[in-house]
Amino acid sequence: MNVFIPLILGLLLGYLGKRAGKRPNLETPTSIALLAMIFFLGVRTGEVHVNGLWLLGVSAIFAILTIAGSLLLAEVVR
Amino acid sequence: MRFLYLVLASLTIGTLVGHFLSPDFGNAYELMLYVLIFLIGADLGLNFNAEELRKVGRNALVLPFLTLAGSLLGGLLAALALGIEPRWGLAIGAGCGWYSLTGPLIAQYSTVYGAVGFLGNLMREILTILLYPIAIGRIDPEKAVVMGGATTMDTTLPIITKFGGREVALTAFVHGFVLTALVPFVLPLILTL
Repeated sequence: MNVFIPLILGLLLGYLGKRAGKRPNLETPTSIALLAMIFFLGVRTGEVHVNGLWLLGVSAIFAILTIAGSLLLAEVVR
Repeated sequence: MRFLYLVLASLTIGTLVGHFLSPDFGNAYELMLYVLIFLIGADLGLNFNAEELRKVGRNALVLPFLTLAGSLLGGLLAALALGIEPRWGLAIGAGCGWYSLTGPLIAQYSTVYGAVGFLGNLMREILTILLYPIAIGRIDPEKAVVMGGATTMDTTLPIITKFGGREVALTAFVHGFVLTALVPFVLPLILTL
């Protein structure tokens, strides 16, 4: 399923709720859903069988340097 | 900060469960993701402000290009530091956190670098979830969105919204959307070099 479907549905319902003067508290359900999603992401990560420390180390270096590169340009250019 | 510990605990417990038990949760991850996206959409709709959206549009369109360029730079530096052929480094960097696309695309050319592409970009997503709340203590929350790359329109959007605020959520979504449109073109182009 495309992420646009729940997003647009949520936007529409939220906007309609706003026009109707409703202000539901979404913080608690959002926090619960977020923790559940991260748990399932962890399950997926744990299922990946890594072939040695080399793969893990090299991947970590790529992850750190790509994040650092993006942050550096965002800080310097903007 | 308390919520960050809960995030860490969820990730750690999930990883241990996945590693030792490998349970079949079916599409639970996707389902939770869609629930979250729906809730975020509802929150945005409840707090919709046209003026805010106009302001976000300008900024959010510049950021993805900086993210991609910085990610390519980081990938190239990593390749040079590790003695890997630069095109693999550029390809892994071009994934911008989109591990499910990067891994299989690179694996068409090299299984080993396909695995690095998958794991490196998965780690980028995990590091964003763990470090974004800390990074915004020192970096502008809007600029720190670049950490998540293409994932800021879905998987890392909840954590960015939770810690960065509603106004950053709009920037993050547009940022992720533009990168999601760019990566499928840039990555195969690099692989043909």
